[in-house]
Amino acid sequence: MVLDGIINGIIMAGIVALPVLGIAVIYGMTGIINFAVGGIGVFSAFLTWYLLPYNMPLAIVAGLVVGFGLGYAIQAALLTPLSAKRGGDLNLFFLITNNIGLIFVGLTRVIFPRPIIGIPLPRLGTINILNVQTSGLKFLALFIAIGALLLLRTVERYTRVGKSWRATSQNLRLARVVGINTSRAFNVASGLGCMLAAFGAIIWGSLYNLTLTSGFDLTFLGYIIAVVGGIGNILGGMLAALIVGMVLSFSAYIVSGSWQSVILYGIAIITLILAPRGILGSERSV
Amino acid sequence: MSEPILEVSDLAVAYGANLAVKGVSATVSENEILGIVGPNGAGKTTFLETIAGLLTARRGTIRYRGKRIDHSSVLKRRKLGIVLIPQEGNIFPGMMVKENLEMGGVLMPAKERETQISYVYELFPMLKERARQIANTLSGGERRMLGVGIGIVANAQLFLIDEPSVGLAPKLVTSLLERLKQLKEDTQKPIALCEQNIKVLNVADRILGMEAGESKFCESLDAIDKGKVRELYLGLHA
Amino acid sequence: MKKWPVQEVLTLVAIFLFAFLFIKGGGYHKWFTGYVLLYLIQGYVAWFIFSKCGQPFYGYAVTMAIGAFSSIVTAVMFGWPLWAGILLGGLFSALVASTLFVATSRARGFYVGMVSFLLVILFPSLIEALRDITGGRSGLSFRGLKGLIGLDGLLWLVLGFVIVVAGILFWLMRTKVGRIFTIIAENDDLAKAVGINTFKYKLLGYAIGGFISGLGGGLYVNYIGSISSVDIGVLTTIYITFIPIVGGSKVPFGPVIGTLFIRLIPEALADIERYLSIIFGAAFVFVMLGMRGGIGDNVVNYIGRLIDRIRMRRAPETKGG
Repeated sequence: MVLDGIINGIIMAGIVALPVLGIAVIYGMTGIINFAVGGIGVFSAFLTWYLLPYNMPLAIVAGLVVGFGLGYAIQAALLTPLSAKRGGDLNLFFLITNNIGLIFVGLTRVIFPRPIIGIPLPRLGTINILNVQTSGLKFLALFIAIGALLLLRTVERYTRVGKSWRATSQNLRLARVVGINTSRAFNVASGLGCMLAAFGAIIWGSLYNLTLTSGFDLTFLGYIIAVVGGIGNILGGMLAALIVGMVLSFSAYIVSGSWQSVILYGIAIITLILAPRGILGSERSV
Repeated sequence: MSEPILEVSDLAVAYGANLAVKGVSATVSENEILGIVGPNGAGKTTFLETIAGLLTARRGTIRYRGKRIDHSSVLKRRKLGIVLIPQEGNIFPGMMVKENLEMGGVLMPAKERETQISYVYELFPMLKERARQIANTLSGGERRMLGVGIGIVANAQLFLIDEPSVGLAPKLVTSLLERLKQLKEDTQKPIALCEQNIKVLNVADRILGMEAGESKFCESLDAIDKGKVRELYLGLHA
Repeated sequence: MKKWPVQEVLTLVAIFLFAFLFIKGGGYHKWFTGYVLLYLIQGYVAWFIFSKCGQPFYGYAVTMAIGAFSSIVTAVMFGWPLWAGILLGGLFSALVASTLFVATSRARGFYVGMVSFLLVILFPSLIEALRDITGGRSGLSFRGLKGLIGLDGLLWLVLGFVIVVAGILFWLMRTKVGRIFTIIAENDDLAKAVGINTFKYKLLGYAIGGFISGLGGGLYVNYIGSISSVDIGVLTTIYITFIPIVGGSKVPFGPVIGTLFIRLIPEALADIERYLSIIFGAAFVFVMLGMRGGIGDNVVNYIGRLIDRIRMRRAPETKGG
C-alpha cells in the first residue's frame, strides 16, 4: 500500500507540476506575481474541450497556442509597461492580476456553454508499475511534466537564450544595458507560463474535472508550490510538487477530501512563515 | 587627439521638479578618458545615465559620432556601442563569472565574443582564476572588475563607468584605474568615468568638473590647475 | 489634518439618515439596507487595515466568517447565549488576525498578503472538514437575534453598530495613535528609523480590525439566518478589499461609496449576471490603474479644486500666501 501511495504521489506531483512550472517561470523571470495564470489556463482548456469533437490534436494545440497568446498579450499590453512604472508594488500586481483572472472566469462562463466540464482525452489503457495500476494518461502527464522540466532547465542553464532570461531576472537594468530585449523576455515568459498552465488544466480536466473557479485553485496551488520550493527555482518547485503529490496521495487514505486541502494550504502557510525563501532558496531577490 | 566621439551640449535632466543636471556640456574623443569629477550629489551619475539612455533629458542634445541619439532607446544606444557600467547592480549575481562575461557579448557572434573575453582575462587575471565562481561571491573589487569586464566584452565603443573605485582599498583603486588606462590605450576607445577619488587625475586626459548640477569646467588635463580640482573635492570652491 | 471633523460627522449623519429612510420604507429595500450595512462594517475594517494602516491584509472574509461561525455554532451546537457567541467571534477573529501578523512579520512585503489570501482559500475547506460542528456544505441555520428582537430590532442594532464603529475609527485616526498608523502606512522604514515600535502598532491595528470584523460577521449570520462553507470565500474577500480601493481611502465616506458599488451593481445588473465577473474584474483593474484613490478621493479633489477656482475668481487681490 505504501508503494501504491508513493507511485500515486509521484503521478499526482507530475500533474500538479505543470501549472507550477508555469508560475515559477513567470515569476522567476519577471518578478511579477501573475495570478491570472490559472484563469487563462482554464479558459484555454475550455477551448480545447469545445474543439475536441472536431479534431483532437488540433484542439489541444489550439488550447496551448491560445494560452500562450493570451499570456503574451496581457504581459505585453499591460503588465510589462506597468512594471516599468510601478515595478516594486507587488500588492498592486497581485490585485490586478487576480482581477484579470476574475475577468477570465467571467469570459469562460459567458463564452462556453457549460460551467463544469471534463475533457475526454483517451485513457491510453492502464499501465502496471510494480504491481500498481495507473491509467496511461496519468503516466503520460507525469512524463510530459518531467520532460518539460528537463527541457526548461536545460534551456535555462545552457542556451544563450535561457541565460539571457536568467540575466534578465537577476539584474534587469544591466540586462537592458547589455542589449537583452527584456520586454520580449518578459512577454515570452508570460506566454510560456500560461501555456504550461493551460496544459496542466487540460490534463487536470481529463483526469478530474474543471469548473469555473478551477482557475483560482490552480493558480494558488501553483503559487503555493512554487513558493514552498523557492520561487523561481524550477528544481525547488519540482521538489515541492513532489512533496505535495505525496501529501495528497497519502492523506487520501487517512483523511477525507476537505482535510487534504486544509493540510495542503496549511503546509504552504507554515512554509511561508518559517522559510519565506522556500526549501531550496531562490535566485531572485524577493 | 581626434574629433569628438561624444558631444553633449547644454544637457538638463530633471527628477520630478528638481533639476539634477543644469545645462552641462562636454566632449569625449577617441583614445581619451574623460574624468567627471565633483562632490556627492553633483549630478555626475545622472549625467552618465542620461547619456546611456536610462533617463530622458529635459533639454539639450547628445551627439554620438555626429548623430543625435537623444531619442534613441537604451537598446539602440547599446547597439551603437554605448555601454554603461553602473556603480551598483553591475553584475548578474547568480551566474558564474564566465557567464557574466558571456552575457556582455550576448548580441555578438561567438568568435568575437571569445576574443573579447580573452582580452578581459588578460587585463584582469583574477577574473580568469575565478571564471567558474558565482558572481555574488566575489569581493567588491572583483565585482567592479567584472562589471568593467562585461562592458569590455560588450565591445563598447564608448564606456560610461560610474564611480569604479567606490568601496575599494587604495591599492585596488590604483590598480583598477591603471587597467582602465591600459584598456583605453589597447583599444583606443573613449571612456567617460565619474570619480570622486583624486587618483583619477592620474589617468584622465580630460576633466569635466561638476558641482550642484552645473559644469564648472571641461578641459584637457594639462590645461587645468590641479589645485582647482583639489578644491572642488574638498568642497572649498564657492 | 483638518481641524473640524466635518466630513466625518457628515458621513455618520448621512449613513444614519439614508439607512433610516430605507428602513422606514420597508420591504425589500429595508432588508437590503441591512445587508449593505453589514458589508459596510467589513468595508470600514478593510479601510482601516489596508488603507489607513497600510497593511497588505486580504483575509477579511476569514475574519468575518470566523465571527459568523462562532456565533451560529456556539448557539446551535452548544446552546450559548447569542451575545456571548458574537463576542467570542470578535475575539477569535482578532486573535487569528494578530497571529497571522505575528507569524509573518519576519517576512517582508508580499508574503503577508499571500498568507492572508491563502487563509481565505483554505477556510471553506476547513469548514467542510469540520462539518460535524459547522455543518460543512449544507451549513447551519438558526433564528438568532432576528428571532429574539425581530428584524427591525436587529436592523437598528446593526445601524447603531456601524455608526459606533465608523465613529470610533474616525476618532482613532485623529489621535496620536492614528497619526502613528498614518506614518507607518506612508513609510514603514522611516517610522522605525524615528523610533516608532511599528510591530506594536501594527499588531494593534490587526487586533482592532479583526475584532470589528468578527463582530460584524456575528451580526451578519444573525441577520441572514444561516451560513455554510460556500458562502464566504475568495470572491467575498476580493469584494471587501475593493471597498476602500474603489470608494476612496482618504475620505471618511469612501467605504460607503465602495460598499454601495459592490453591492448595488450586482443588484442592478441582476439580469446580466453572467457578465458580472467580467465587468467587476475590468472595473477593478481600471480603478487600480487609472483612479488612484478611488471614487471618493477623486470627487473630493475635484470639488476642492472647483472651490479654489471660485475663491480665486472672487478675490484676485488677496491671492498668494
